[in-house]
Amino acid sequence: MISVVVVSHSRALADAAVALAAQMAPGPDGPRVEVAAGLDDGTLGTDAAAVAAAIQRGDEASGHEGVLVLMDLGSAVLSAELALELLGPEVAGRVRLSPAPLLEGLVVAVVSARSGRDLGEVAAEAAGGLGPKTAHLLPDDGAGPCPEEPSVAGPTTSPHRVDAVELEVRGPHGLHARPAARLVACAAEVAPQTIVRVRNLTSGRGPVDALSLSRVATLDARQGHLLLAEASGPRAREVLESLTELARDGFGDLPRSGAVAEAAAVVDTTGGGVAGSGLDAAVGPVLRLDARLDGHGIPAGSVAEERVRWREALREAGERLDQLAEQARRQLGDPAAEVFEAHATLLRDPELARDVSRRLVEGQSAATAWAETVEATAAWFDQLADPYQRERAHDVRAAGERVLRLIVGAPEPESLGEGILVVEELDPGLAISLDPRAVRGVITWHGGETGHGVLIAVSRGVPVLTGEEALRDVPAGTTVAFDGRSRTVEVDPGEEVLTAFEELLDHRRRERDLALETSATPVVTTDGVPLRVRANVSSLAMARLAAQMGAQGAGLVRTEAVFGHCLQAPSVDEQAQVYGEIAAALAPHPVAIRTWDVGGDKPLPFMPTVVEANPFLGTRGLRAFVHDPRLLLDQLEAICRVAAHAEVQVLFPMVTTRSDVDLALTLLREAATRAGGDGLPPLLEVGIMIEVPAAALNVSALTEGLDLVSIGSNDLSQYALAADRGNGDLAAWSDPLEPAVLRLVRATCEGVPAGMPVGLCGALAGEPGLAGLLAGLGVSQLSAVPAAVPLVKERLRAGSMAGFREIAERALDCPDAASVRALLGQHADARRRESVSARPAGGTAR
Amino acid sequence: MADLESFRAWVADASATLTDQAEHLTDLDRAIGDGDHGTNMARGFAACAALDPEAGYNGIDAYLKMVGMTLVSTVGGASGPLYGTFFLRLAGPLAAADEVGVHQVGQALRAGVEGVVARGKAQLGDKTMYDALAPALEAFDEASRDGQDLASCLEAAALAAAAGRDATEPLVARKGRASYLGERSAGHIDPGASSATLLIEAAARTLV
Repeated sequence: MISVVVVSHSRALADAAVALAAQMAPGPDGPRVEVAAGLDDGTLGTDAAAVAAAIQRGDEASGHEGVLVLMDLGSAVLSAELALELLGPEVAGRVRLSPAPLLEGLVVAVVSARSGRDLGEVAAEAAGGLGPKTAHLLPDDGAGPCPEEPSVAGPTTSPHRVDAVELEVRGPHGLHARPAARLVACAAEVAPQTIVRVRNLTSGRGPVDALSLSRVATLDARQGHLLLAEASGPRAREVLESLTELARDGFGDLPRSGAVAEAAAVVDTTGGGVAGSGLDAAVGPVLRLDARLDGHGIPAGSVAEERVRWREALREAGERLDQLAEQARRQLGDPAAEVFEAHATLLRDPELARDVSRRLVEGQSAATAWAETVEATAAWFDQLADPYQRERAHDVRAAGERVLRLIVGAPEPESLGEGILVVEELDPGLAISLDPRAVRGVITWHGGETGHGVLIAVSRGVPVLTGEEALRDVPAGTTVAFDGRSRTVEVDPGEEVLTAFEELLDHRRRERDLALETSATPVVTTDGVPLRVRANVSSLAMARLAAQMGAQGAGLVRTEAVFGHCLQAPSVDEQAQVYGEIAAALAPHPVAIRTWDVGGDKPLPFMPTVVEANPFLGTRGLRAFVHDPRLLLDQLEAICRVAAHAEVQVLFPMVTTRSDVDLALTLLREAATRAGGDGLPPLLEVGIMIEVPAAALNVSALTEGLDLVSIGSNDLSQYALAADRGNGDLAAWSDPLEPAVLRLVRATCEGVPAGMPVGLCGALAGEPGLAGLLAGLGVSQLSAVPAAVPLVKERLRAGSMAGFREIAERALDCPDAASVRALLGQHADARRRESVSARPAGGTAR
Repeated sequence: MADLESFRAWVADASATLTDQAEHLTDLDRAIGDGDHGTNMARGFAACAALDPEAGYNGIDAYLKMVGMTLVSTVGGASGPLYGTFFLRLAGPLAAADEVGVHQVGQALRAGVEGVVARGKAQLGDKTMYDALAPALEAFDEASRDGQDLASCLEAAALAAAAGRDATEPLVARKGRASYLGERSAGHIDPGASSATLLIEAAARTLV
């Protein structure tokens, strides 16, 4: 058993601390605790010679197993270090100087040493001795995780430092999950027994244990921050050198060559392409993940049993995550794989393990101990300033959930049966990994329609219904039928309702098949009016998919998504290449490239995020480039180059006033000159996004000098209705079919000069049932997710412009969104009755 | 040239000076520290001055090591291990010599100051004894390169130490107890730099 030495300025203080610790480990079988405190004459102070003697006594008592030295402050630390020098390297090699606060560290060390842990383990546990107190106090003060030194002490006062290096955080996202995981892995690999502590010199957070991913991530280290890594022990220098090297590479987070091509090639949001039914409706038994699996109230067995249960689940979850990472790497590339790898690293976090161990010893069940530890850790992330870092709370919960499932024997997310998945929220990870052949549809009981996960699922053709609070507690196995288009859901439906749904599905399936057959043909209404249906694309792969689906060009190329994987701004050459390939994929139709739309909920890795009280009303879109237009100029130059030989439209986002348009045109002309042209390229058309109500109402003043406008209906409705589109609680206020929103669409269509095309590229355009209404309001180009293109085209072909206008007029007169939906429902029924007579097998909706 | 008697005289002079200045040092320390520097230093050096000349050491290096260990065990505060290390390291380059000249004293001072830096991890401008010791060492070396004798070199070192000490006044402490005060530590001369200056000044009077 190792020994412990207490070094203090005060003999009385040391003796009292030892007595307190002895209470925790009573009896003769505790470790030897030697004291070196005060001077011989009773004054306060420390004596390196006395410390050396105490260490020597401890070393002998431990049978040379090792000595952990705990110190109070100032000279105690210096004296202990000098004592090691006096003792010589052989003895010093068996001694650890603990950075722990004296009392907390001593109590933990005595308990831990008594249980037979070796020096490294006791040292690690003692170093975390402040954890429980910090955790206890944190919710009130919100301070950093390890405030053991007052902040006025400044960054370099750490008295226990033996060796230290400064590390600069160069990656654009700071030390987020993946680079943090690499730091932990590096420290663990080089010298697992060496205590390495890291603090953020810039923000003052820390220090934290470098072996703990959860703690490292709480440093909130962002690009440009300076970290101080401190290590003590024989291999300190070695591990610090490795960390220095890792930091030089941006913790593995700086762009590698070819990253742009890779980014453009990855099907970033569509996963395995359109594999779902695309019918917007589904019938089947409820599948549940029980997203909030409750680990509480589960009776605990013996501490040993619970420990085995927990260890076993942890091991199994780790193996499964390794498999998933491998699978993701093959199918989706490195970035996707690293999400799973980061989860696996989180599970191996010694800080979590310590916390769980402590709870197990207190008699909690494995499930409860794990659930509470995970939640406490996630809470750390929740309170971080950087939104990107805050999202890591979700990683912690997701990784934690996987282990909890194994502990309580619930099925893991990947092995679901066939049916309809009911979850709280559809996160992007689940949306991309779920098997659309088995999961016929997804119902969420929280969250809005435009969440990222929902968009991914929809673009994969998986029917989704959001915000169905009533289904929160529906048990697994219950039969459910739902229709996303009419937003109806039936729980445990009777024979009659079930038959109606089956007929609806049958009808849609035939309509879809017909639409797919005719997807390549252009759209002309029955009364001869030509319309365009284009696609929203976020990658080259999606552009190719859109072309297969018969899209007449791209109505919106989301450039910030196309290059969302790039950690440094893509060069003009790289952008020109990617835009050129997207244009070629959809040729001969034009592609509308929207310039960087940053801000709000869309961070761009290579653009510094401005922290704003109200980002959606802040420096979004074009506004972000007023002071420093360099990134925008590069992009415009690339667009101009492509427009020299391909039909390209450029769209400026978040335009509000005429001076925005003037700025955009000035920058565009400058970029055209840089691209070597004489004036704007002949194949380039210039347009603006209409997303701000002010722009919709003043559109006639904005369109001078422009060729087209495109309505961003998601933003336009959230700004008109003053309801955050991502907030499921505001669903009652955020229906884009509110007549006020439709009037803004109408105002836009009426305000533009005669003949100027008006596009619409929000979620509305992807709903086949709304295509006629939008055309009737005056929208001439709808831009939808690729999967919806055939059906939207089919709907527009099936009606007359006169009929669409009539519907639009009646919708504008409706008092609210519900009335508009009812109106459209009646119209759909009437249309279906027509189609029933035309196609005998058709059915009714309900 | 300096012999064992010179070094014993140095320690005796330092002890007398520090006793004399104890109150002043303690006042300085009270402003930005825990107010015990004067008494700690006086106690430590008094113990060194009282070392029995017959007690088992022969040679300058053995004497200096004993002074170092005595300081370690009697000073109490952070100055104990720091000045202790200074004297322990000072002994290294002076091993097996009965008389030492300018060159060896220069080497010894360098070893001693480097020992202080290794122990305290201070940098220039941290408002510590190093802010007096570093310029002292530099001035000593420069005078030594100019071919001056030991007394002149130490004289130059003492002047430089005093200048370094005075320059600590506006600094914000980044080491030791004073660093807990942050900005409030500015406006006071550092007590460690003061005692280091007294020590070098004592050397200039005795190591000849």
